[in-house]
Amino acid sequence: MPTTPSARGDGPSQAPPSPPSPTASFYDMSDAEEGEYSTVRHTKSGKGVKLLYAKSKVYVHPTASARDNIPGWIAIIQQKPRQNSVSSTSSRGRSASLSSLLLAWVLESNLGDASDIYTKVELSDSGQPPKQSYLVPAPPITTTHSSSLGTYSFSVPLSDIFSILVRPPNTGWWFGSIVINTRAGDSFPALFFHDNECASTDAQRKRLQRENFSISSEDGKGMFWGGDEIVRWLKKYVEVERSAQEPSVYLIDPSESDKLGFGSGGKPTPDKVKNVLEGKHKDEPAQKGKTPEGDPVMQALKQARWSFLEKMSQVTTFTRRTAQAVAENKNLPPQVRRLMQNPQVQTVSDEFDSARLYLARWAMGIAEQSERERNQRIWTAKDVLEMEETGVGEFELLDLEAGGMSLADRRKPVTLKEWKSFFNTNSGKLEKTADEVKERIFHGGLNPDDGVRKEAWLFLLGVYEWESNKEERHAKMNSLRDEYIRLKGAWWERMVDEQGTLEEREWWKEQKTRIEKDVHRTDRHIPLFAGEDIPHPDPDSPFAESGTNVHLEQMKDMLLTYNEYNRDLGYVQGMSDLLAPIYAIEQDDAVAFWGFVKFMERMERNFLRDQSGMRLQLTTLDQLCQLLDPELYEHLRKLDSTNFFFFFRMLLVWYKREFSFPDILRLYEGLWTDYLSANLHLFVAMAILEKHRAVILEHLRGFDEVLKYVNELSGTIDLESTLAGAEKLFRRFQRTVEAIDRKSSFPAAPAVRQRLPQPPPTSPGADGKPRRFSQAAAASPSNPRPGSSTGVAGAASTSGRDRTVGDHVAAGIGAERENERVVSPELRALLSREVPKLEKKEVREHGGGVGS
Amino acid sequence: MSSRKKILLKVIILGDSGVGKTSLMNQYVNKKFTASYKATIGADFLTKEVLVDDRLVTMQLWDTAGQERFQSLGVAFYRGADCCVLVYDVNNAKSFDTLDSWRDEFLIQASPMDPESFPFVVLGNKVDVGEDKRVISSKRAMAFCQGKGGIPYFETSAKEAVNVEQAFEVIARNALAQEESQDFNPEFPETIPINIGEQNQGCSC
Repeated sequence: MPTTPSARGDGPSQAPPSPPSPTASFYDMSDAEEGEYSTVRHTKSGKGVKLLYAKSKVYVHPTASARDNIPGWIAIIQQKPRQNSVSSTSSRGRSASLSSLLLAWVLESNLGDASDIYTKVELSDSGQPPKQSYLVPAPPITTTHSSSLGTYSFSVPLSDIFSILVRPPNTGWWFGSIVINTRAGDSFPALFFHDNECASTDAQRKRLQRENFSISSEDGKGMFWGGDEIVRWLKKYVEVERSAQEPSVYLIDPSESDKLGFGSGGKPTPDKVKNVLEGKHKDEPAQKGKTPEGDPVMQALKQARWSFLEKMSQVTTFTRRTAQAVAENKNLPPQVRRLMQNPQVQTVSDEFDSARLYLARWAMGIAEQSERERNQRIWTAKDVLEMEETGVGEFELLDLEAGGMSLADRRKPVTLKEWKSFFNTNSGKLEKTADEVKERIFHGGLNPDDGVRKEAWLFLLGVYEWESNKEERHAKMNSLRDEYIRLKGAWWERMVDEQGTLEEREWWKEQKTRIEKDVHRTDRHIPLFAGEDIPHPDPDSPFAESGTNVHLEQMKDMLLTYNEYNRDLGYVQGMSDLLAPIYAIEQDDAVAFWGFVKFMERMERNFLRDQSGMRLQLTTLDQLCQLLDPELYEHLRKLDSTNFFFFFRMLLVWYKREFSFPDILRLYEGLWTDYLSANLHLFVAMAILEKHRAVILEHLRGFDEVLKYVNELSGTIDLESTLAGAEKLFRRFQRTVEAIDRKSSFPAAPAVRQRLPQPPPTSPGADGKPRRFSQAAAASPSNPRPGSSTGVAGAASTSGRDRTVGDHVAAGIGAERENERVVSPELRALLSREVPKLEKKEVREHGGGVGS
Repeated sequence: MSSRKKILLKVIILGDSGVGKTSLMNQYVNKKFTASYKATIGADFLTKEVLVDDRLVTMQLWDTAGQERFQSLGVAFYRGADCCVLVYDVNNAKSFDTLDSWRDEFLIQASPMDPESFPFVVLGNKVDVGEDKRVISSKRAMAFCQGKGGIPYFETSAKEAVNVEQAFEVIARNALAQEESQDFNPEFPETIPINIGEQNQGCSC
């Protein structure tokens, strides 16, 4: 029995997982026969290599002229396994067999005497490798294709082939072709199958016609051609997987990561989702594409389609009932009545919208799910690169190896041990720069299980200074504890003694009720807040009957203390959501309180009575979307959705309602670093939008649909990829602004260009824009931003609507009109890592508390 | 007449935070109650298809945050409303006292054609809590509703599904009447988002 793996390890590639077994006849060769052939590297010592499969009239087209075409043979040959071990005859380790199998292309003119054998093999029963060993001279083995195109024959060990690009023929237009790509990254010249000249293809077509009355390939898609045969034959020896992303690519012996990157396990791209929505196979328009049964995404999408159809049928019967009344109206023309009685018409016209949306959401949910599952693995650069290519277009990945750490290492959570190593053991002073630590936490997060958050969060929140030493921190915490007790006592007395004006007392009573209500409905699914094991201290509370627990009571105390601490603002709905994670980590009311106070310094603007802070952020998001994704922005504009209100909840409490509790902890510590921007949360919003842009563009048709869709993303968003997406978007934003600034600071350049003789513009310039502005710029080269010149007004009038940042970018960064546009102060502020905080005065004026 | 277009009724639910707006809506649409709803942030809506006098209508029920400072954002949703539901908690006097200002605020922001006839419905929620906790009597609530031109009034329990179905039936009926009265006025803009084909070239699914 072929069991020992001793033949492994000599091939250049890793052992393949488990390619489909070669057919039995392949193994049927006797040991005696085995001994008689040689390896291509030692052709002189043996009699030749075994020819397993051959096909004639496969051409290389070195030039555009058909006269230069070079005919040859494509062949699969077997050389003697390279190891010297005697056990080779009985043990066929996979890698050994892969490196001993070669895919070859041999010049027809070079075959000489062997051409008879090639012809014999080609025309032998095509289903199986020949029983008899046909030995032929070995073609030169190679794993790279160097400069001299198509001159030499070549043969490549299967183990060295990464993929084969397959392009089926189009009758009357082109020959079908394949391109072999090696693992080393080389591509061999395309091999064209001149099927009309090829004896074996002709024979097979005739056979197919006889048997099936058609010359389609076996799976019924497209005409049978030579390339089909190559793929089919390769599959006998090696695992061949068609890429789900690029259906023309067949991966040869793919590793797990290849499959992830390109194979069927790839993430559902918007195209795939779209195809499913339209009832097509996900790989269309490409042919063939057998779906691997185990593909979970495909399975789930199939299910989605099924439940979609089910839903449709329910809707149909429901609609039919009401349609009946109309249809029975005697005054209706008969043809209209018939139409009304056909429920399909009803369904499609009336109800498709909601069903369509339902399915779209379903499919995206699955996409997120599969993404999440994949992210259980360690991040690789390839994952990131793959993401780079989707969604928002191409841009290079910066500083992959920054700081000497690989990306994968940087994505590992910071453990307590690593955290402690950042500090001097004696003084407790940070020995790295704060930025280095922030970068680590931004990319890796903190270990959720070893308690590192308890301390690290106090630095991130700003309770402790990064420069402080152990003693200073100790002293600080002591005075903060005292202060907490003092503040807590202040409102307690206020309650008991009924101090202050009537208005103040009313406000306090109201705030207390509000806090109580909200605490009892904040994160109750977290074990910490779940129980109701103690009686409510206040018998008049609406929650007196249901009871409470010690952590809920602590939450109430901290929020009331905050209400005392910041009376200009007071408690506002949403704050309990922000406090809960901090308390859950610190589990000490005084410590958590001060962490919360620090967090609130940056979040205060979200809670102002006049909503000015929220409006500013929504406006900024609007501008950011214009800049980064004008197409999506334009669509949202048509849907009256550019108020971006549908992000209100996400921005108000930093996605607290969108992610799971553990994810929120990770998100918050990342955002608190301010590593890229103090407003990275807006890029998170953009990253979420970008993930769903395909659905939004295709399927959402009104403000209400957008709001509903975005609200229902809650619980479906994958965090890691969203954070990576936010970083990517930030970097792109940064480069865009830099590019704009570079343009603005060299005003002379376009002016000089414009002095070159130009034909007078009779119509807008070649780029679709009038040239008048450039002339205006030339007239005043000292003005870097001639925004007030008349030329600008002329240029602006070409646009049907107000010019936007989006136009700006759409117009292309290289355009001369660049100078006139200004990056808005709101957008420029996003580059800052300084946390935006309100002046005390602003809070007093707009806070809506009793202090105002 | 051409065949009837799909009717969408937009209903806005207002009231102080914690009176049970989200719960009422969910009891009506999903027939579910859970004590663990979170405070509503921003706005959301649920839809339900119902038959009103043999006409199929889609109700779009809008739920908003109760804290008054978030109401300035409500303008976008108030427009084109067909009915406004005012909810208070019968065990909370403050939530009853604010009904009037909720109503005024709505009329200002939604600016319906004819404020006098715009349909409101008042719901006194949480009647399951128990008489000893109750602070607003039925009589008082009904007097208020009478004073505002005869607003329909229901006492409900979202928790125990008391009167919820009945209340929303009236809400749907009044909203439909409002919607149809608007149809006669050509000046009034269409409130249903119309799907314009040009937004999406290509597939016309």
